[in-house]
Amino acid sequence: MIELKHVSKWITVGGVRTFLLKDVNLTIKEGEFVSIMGPSGSGKSTLLNVMGMLDEFDEGEYNFLHEAVHKLKEKHRSALYKKYIGFVFQAYHLIDELTVYENIETPLIYSDSKTGERKAIVADILDRFQIVGKKDLFPTQLSGGQQQLVGIARALVGKPKLILADEPTGNLNSKQGEEIMDLFKKLNQEDGVTIIQVTHSEKNAEYGSRIIHLLDGRIERIEEK
Amino acid sequence: MYSFINVFGLAVGLASCILIGLYIADELSYDKFNANSSRLVRVSAEEGHDGNAEPVGVTGTKAGPQLKRTFSFVEDYARVINSSRVVKYKDKLYTEKRVLYADAPFFKMFSFNLTGGNPATALTNPNTVVLTKTMANKYFGNEDPVGKTLNFGTRGDYIVTGVCDDAPGNSQIRFDFVASFSSLPVYKTEEYWSANYITYLLVRAQTDIAAAAKQVDNYMRTAVGKELGMTGGDYLTYHLEPLLSVHLNSKAEGLEPNGNINYIYIMFAIGLLILIIACINYTNLATAQSATRLGEIGMRKVMGAQRWQLFTQFVGESGLITFIALVLALVISITLLPLFNSITGKALTANTLIAPMPILGMLALSVAVSFIACVYPAFILSGTGLSKILKTGFSFSRSGNGLRKTLIVAQFVISVFLIIATIVVQDQLHYMQNKNLGYDKEHVLVLPLDNTSLNNYDAYKSGLKQIPGVENVASAYETPTNIGWGDKIKKTGDAGDKGISINALPADLDFINTMKIPIIAGSNFTRADFAGMDTSNDHKNYRYTFIINETAAKQLGYKPEEAINKTIYKNNPGIVKAVVKDFHFTSMHETIKPLVIFLEDRMLYSTFIRVNSPDVSATINKIGVYWKTRVPNRPFEYHFLDEDYNRLYKAEQKTASIFSLFAGTALILACLGLFGLAAFTTIQRTKEIGVRKVLGAGTVTIVNLLCREFLQLVTIAFVIAAPVAWTASNKWLQDFAYRINISWVIFFVAGISVVIVTLATVGYHAIKAALSNPVNALRSE
Repeated sequence: MIELKHVSKWITVGGVRTFLLKDVNLTIKEGEFVSIMGPSGSGKSTLLNVMGMLDEFDEGEYNFLHEAVHKLKEKHRSALYKKYIGFVFQAYHLIDELTVYENIETPLIYSDSKTGERKAIVADILDRFQIVGKKDLFPTQLSGGQQQLVGIARALVGKPKLILADEPTGNLNSKQGEEIMDLFKKLNQEDGVTIIQVTHSEKNAEYGSRIIHLLDGRIERIEEK
Repeated sequence: MYSFINVFGLAVGLASCILIGLYIADELSYDKFNANSSRLVRVSAEEGHDGNAEPVGVTGTKAGPQLKRTFSFVEDYARVINSSRVVKYKDKLYTEKRVLYADAPFFKMFSFNLTGGNPATALTNPNTVVLTKTMANKYFGNEDPVGKTLNFGTRGDYIVTGVCDDAPGNSQIRFDFVASFSSLPVYKTEEYWSANYITYLLVRAQTDIAAAAKQVDNYMRTAVGKELGMTGGDYLTYHLEPLLSVHLNSKAEGLEPNGNINYIYIMFAIGLLILIIACINYTNLATAQSATRLGEIGMRKVMGAQRWQLFTQFVGESGLITFIALVLALVISITLLPLFNSITGKALTANTLIAPMPILGMLALSVAVSFIACVYPAFILSGTGLSKILKTGFSFSRSGNGLRKTLIVAQFVISVFLIIATIVVQDQLHYMQNKNLGYDKEHVLVLPLDNTSLNNYDAYKSGLKQIPGVENVASAYETPTNIGWGDKIKKTGDAGDKGISINALPADLDFINTMKIPIIAGSNFTRADFAGMDTSNDHKNYRYTFIINETAAKQLGYKPEEAINKTIYKNNPGIVKAVVKDFHFTSMHETIKPLVIFLEDRMLYSTFIRVNSPDVSATINKIGVYWKTRVPNRPFEYHFLDEDYNRLYKAEQKTASIFSLFAGTALILACLGLFGLAAFTTIQRTKEIGVRKVLGAGTVTIVNLLCREFLQLVTIAFVIAAPVAWTASNKWLQDFAYRINISWVIFFVAGISVVIVTLATVGYHAIKAALSNPVNALRSE
């Protein structure tokens, strides 16, 4: 599904080049559950953003579902990630002015689906995550775990093939974190959703089948389970 | 950048207030320089018949002396009249338009600071004159003019008996020369009619002017009414106007155009509105800006600052900004003073500003502004809970948003109102200036008609006609743009006081043709008509020849064709030779009234020359050369008829300019505020924008999202402002008999321009945000 070949990304400050990603080669197949680990500043989030087509890179090739992303125009790229990729953030990034229902509905609005369809899909997801009773509440009225749940629901509503999660349990307590990770596992095993997560926690990394260790922008080692 | 916007916006607002304050102060200070101001009174006359009763600022020669003889509260009186004289001293020859004739007590009553002469006697003897300092310099240079002789052309020589200060700008009496009233032939006679003189009274101290006025009114309606043989509803009465109330409150014009207390209110309101907008901007931007300072505030609190300390800090900061804005405002005001003067017709100087009272006033103003505008933000900031700040970055989006939105709406209500008002005033002005008057006012040169030329009128006229480029020549008593002569016309069989009030214009044979006034019945004057003008035997057998306008014919009860050859009476009889189409002979504040034009050969004072030539200036030169051969003792001075016409609307022009200026200012300020606020709001929503982009929103969607809210605000503002503006405009337009219709186009234009401006201002930020990389937005942790 994802093929990164010699991907590098750098920034130049005062003539000195600092690498955010250095010569990354990586292949991820559909249906995998991969974790990315590493110390702060090792380029985890950058790698995730590049894979999610939110960020560009300076050197190398990136094939997503056999499409050469680096050659695509912005419009095409955004169409691609809109369709296939869902994002889950550490800080949930819900829109405070919208209700839970509206937050979950938002990606569907931007992908031009009909109102009736949207209603059905959102109702379905609310039911699945058992948060139907909370659909008219605002994010500020929910606990951290519930907010993250909404975030994941939002990421899933477009039925993506890939979920990119940036420290999804970072702001949660251990019980909430466990629930989220179990959910990911279920999605991966039952629905075949590819999951790539960035995490600090060894425990969370165990849920995946592969762990990629980054250091200073390079892949240091890959651990298979 | 926000600080700059803040300071600049505030400076512009303060500068507007300063200029308006100057204007108002000047208007309110009129005539106060007179030491006797509380005892000085102007006599205005009211003549009534058929229910027409317009007060006028002039009286006959008898008013002053008779009032002094009859009432003990009158200590003294002075009649004044302005004249134009050709003045000569050695090689200096000028036509002076501001030669005032005044009775001897003039310098005792008014404080014009006479030097080099005795105020009690300077104007006693005939043929004496006092010069202003500027005139003294103009004619005599450094010589002492007192005792020297000036030649007033056909009026003879005048001896200079003193020099006085130039009349200040805020005086209802302004002049270059003051000559003794006793020099005039009318000095010897006293009469109530021929009201051409402004009469001022000096009443004794402690006089109750209102009570005195009642006595005068009573006296005029009874004793004088009898003396003048007035019957029925006719009357002549006088009102006493306290000197200080004349300029702003009197309807009767004097020597100088009156101001209008309503304009003072309008200017004050505008100044206040603009200041409100500037303060709103300040408050909005300060609250917005403070969001970025939350980190600093949090730290200060951690280090032990208490709420009142922070509050004082913010108040102090804003006080400093206001002070800087004030200094900047002063600079702006002084720079713009010449432009402001030209718009308002005043002569304000920087000296007026840099005096203790104004400076204190400005400091007080800036303190008030800084306090009002920054109390709210300072209060909020200093009270913000510490933990809230340090935790997730305080979200300012909820608190204060309602207030900010209201303030923006208020700003735009004011701006939309001013824009609509400006468009209405400009439209009306344009309409009046370009409306077909009923005669052709373009390319007509106006020259004074000198007595020597009048004595050889036919030869003078044909000489002018021969000049290439001159199409036609005519003369009349006064300019047709503003005919003031009031009279009465009776029909055969009208007894007593029946008859219609009309305006009248003495004119020569060619007047109708030269002015191109369409004749709808009958025919123009001919030479044969002069035969009836028999002045012998005290005008006993004098017969006029009349041309009347449609309205006059109608009021006399005739259809235009019916009126021809009928006899009507203006004291003496005359036949109606022609009926002309109604034309505007006064400002469009009034409907066209009945008018009679009668053939004259003596009472003609202005010559109208219609020029039809590709090279107008060459023709004017030739006319000038001709003038010098015919009238060598008078300088060649001309102007165009349409300039006369435009002068009728000076007040409206002033209004239009003032509104344009301040509408522009208000809009600029509102935009500045909007710009700053849009910037802030966009930054505030950075995270949200990033999220939406990640979720798939396109650039257009994001721009729509951001602009939508502001467009809603502006629409609300428009909906509020439009009816108010419509009402106010209608009220102003009611003053005009001929006026534009307030069409929907005006509102459309105002609305569209505000929307476009809003879109441009907000759109700039919206587009910038929509194009930015969402990753940067989300990179908060």
